[in-house]
Amino acid sequence: MEKASHLSVIVDLSPTQWYLSAQATNPYPLPIETFLSHLLAFLNAHIASKHENTLAVFGAFPGKSVMLYSSTETSTLVDDAPPLDANSYPPFKTVDTTMLQQITHELEALGHMEEEPPCALVGALTKALCYINRITHPSTSATSVAEDPAILSEPHILILSVSPDLSSSYIPVMNSIFSAQKLKVTIDVCKIYGPDTVFLQQAAHLTNGSYIYLERRDALLQYLIMSFLSPPSIRKVLAAPTQDKIDFRAACFCHKNIVDIGFVCSVCLSIFCQPVPVCSTCRTKFPLKTLQRLSVARPIPPLANSRNTPPLTSINNGAQRFIPRPANGGMNS
Amino acid sequence: MAPPRRTDPNYMDVDSDSDISMIGGDEVRARGKGKGKGTDKRKKDKGKGKAKDQAYTWEASYTRSWDMVQEDETGSLQGAVEDLMARGRRRRLLAPAAAIRRTIIRHLVLLLDLSAAMMDRDMRPTRFDLSLQYAREFVVEWFDQNPLGQIGVVGMRSGVGERIGEMSGNPQDVLKSLSDRTKLEPAGEPSLQNAIEMARSSMSHLPTHSSREILIIFGSLTTCDPGNIHDTLDACVKNRIRISVVALAAEMKICRDMCDKTGGQFGVAMNEGHFKDLLFELVPPPAQRTVARAGGGGGANPAADLMMMGFPTRLPDSSPPSLCVCHSDMKSEGFLCPRCMAKVCDVPTDCDICGLMIVSSPHLARSYHHLFPVKPYQAVTSVEEVGERAGICHACGRAFPTTPSIAPASEGISPLGRYRCPDCGHDFCTECDVFVHDVVHCCPGCGK
Repeated sequence: MEKASHLSVIVDLSPTQWYLSAQATNPYPLPIETFLSHLLAFLNAHIASKHENTLAVFGAFPGKSVMLYSSTETSTLVDDAPPLDANSYPPFKTVDTTMLQQITHELEALGHMEEEPPCALVGALTKALCYINRITHPSTSATSVAEDPAILSEPHILILSVSPDLSSSYIPVMNSIFSAQKLKVTIDVCKIYGPDTVFLQQAAHLTNGSYIYLERRDALLQYLIMSFLSPPSIRKVLAAPTQDKIDFRAACFCHKNIVDIGFVCSVCLSIFCQPVPVCSTCRTKFPLKTLQRLSVARPIPPLANSRNTPPLTSINNGAQRFIPRPANGGMNS
Repeated sequence: MAPPRRTDPNYMDVDSDSDISMIGGDEVRARGKGKGKGTDKRKKDKGKGKAKDQAYTWEASYTRSWDMVQEDETGSLQGAVEDLMARGRRRRLLAPAAAIRRTIIRHLVLLLDLSAAMMDRDMRPTRFDLSLQYAREFVVEWFDQNPLGQIGVVGMRSGVGERIGEMSGNPQDVLKSLSDRTKLEPAGEPSLQNAIEMARSSMSHLPTHSSREILIIFGSLTTCDPGNIHDTLDACVKNRIRISVVALAAEMKICRDMCDKTGGQFGVAMNEGHFKDLLFELVPPPAQRTVARAGGGGGANPAADLMMMGFPTRLPDSSPPSLCVCHSDMKSEGFLCPRCMAKVCDVPTDCDICGLMIVSSPHLARSYHHLFPVKPYQAVTSVEEVGERAGICHACGRAFPTTPSIAPASEGISPLGRYRCPDCGHDFCTECDVFVHDVVHCCPGCGK
């Protein structure tokens, strides 16, 4: 008997990106209405697959993240319960109406703005983690529904992303990934529109999730059900999609170049593409001896950089003349 | 509430009821930099207190806890108990998050006593089983906080040092070496000197910017050494090796000397819980100053340095199989050293061919939270401060209590269960507050 699973879905709801996605010039245009109907069908499938399954949906809006639905907190999110309909299964009805109400409400609240702030994906992700932390370690507090921790043991997160990577969110995204690892949460990523995001690829890879780039966007529901519906424990017996190419290289802090071999400050771990005398992040001064050694040992720089190298070494050499005797002696030895 | 035990006028105000000894010794030392002798005095007190006369110092705030336990309207004690627990959890967060330089690249040799004394049953089930279990937990936690570190394991039994696990940056390797208890069955007398010499020699090649540490879990009260252990100690001081000892039996002069001279920490475990606490105090990276001091006047070589690191290419599972340079195994997955193109099984590691340190960017990123911590949340103390804010926790959606808790409020604890981020102004519940600061290291409201 398999255990119940918890699914947290993070929906990227950036109006600009969804507008672009709906353009007829795309190979498979996917407007947000179609997307939502696919998504709701998927969410219903998750609820239907086991009675104890729980669900939470977080929306990443521009500059704001909101909990759209949660199976434990329905009452706090919607003011008036939807009228029951004799022709629909009540749990499905609750999910569908709550989600649509919330999304409409939030999108209307956005109003008209000159420039769209970046999507609060990190906020939504950390909220999902906090929520999972809360339900997997239920406290005795009277407000939370009493749950058996043995039942709820397989949380996973699904990120439906349409926005490109935000370079400023690198550290928070990585922190979230590590906390997901700690909580044993699998992060799945479905990239619906836009270029591949390196951060989310790493997120899926590091948490043993799947990253899927949607090619046939009209077949979204099929992708969702085939790859993401099964809880992580069942994935082992299925042939879940894996990714081959993950870029684990880092960008240097000084020129944002992607580097193969970098120079790293031992104090703050800032990465530089060439030896520098002072760390720009923590202002640590590096010993000249190391600089000399590293300038000699560094790999042959790419052509663009080779022109910069001679001036740099000459600066270093120039500096040597001004430093007092003892340090000089240290260098010669 | 227990009387505040403030001995240091420089101490943060909010800390008046929090426990001083929860702060690791190195932080205290680092904070003491440039401060008056008050700090020094306290440090001395603390060192003595821990080993000898005092019980858990943090028990102080639990004494007379029955005074503040009050039943809620339904006659249940639940609320009061919860409140106590919340205080305990939050206390740790109040430790000053001063910016200190920390050694991030660490090398540690775990020295396990495997002598007959470890079969003693004063700790359940035996000292040996317990320390093995804690050692495993320690390794997991240690690698989590020090992803670029490496651990080697050495055992002391039958008068010799025994290499149990090679220096490795892979937690699985280390755990594997500790997994088989039948191979580690205690026997004979321990030899501190032999074991320390073995640990020292395995760290002799390490660069200066990384820390060299030895952690000894010592259960015996004797050591049988072939030579003068003070020579070994001097050599350790010279090599800037920081020795910390967790003793299970009693304080030995030589152990205390070793720790004092090399800048390590010494503790005698009083019971199982204390043993674990002593061990886990050594998990966070030590402040850099401690390491510099351990150098003992040889300040010619600063600890900060620029390191060359390689970011490898990961080979997919479907690539053609080839031999790896580390185990000579035939496998398809692996990482390519960017300098010499040798294939290694796992990162972070030093390339076996060209010696370049190979890391993947997530490993570096895992240490960033030590450098960019989340600002501590402030407790919301009165109903007026709540204002028009939402009635649910901004992170997990849990509803806040609408009436303040009846337990007497103390500093840093919110009677409403609300903790507010100073940057984004959102309110969070106790659980999320702890989770955000301990695990996520990223505020859900600000998104950074």
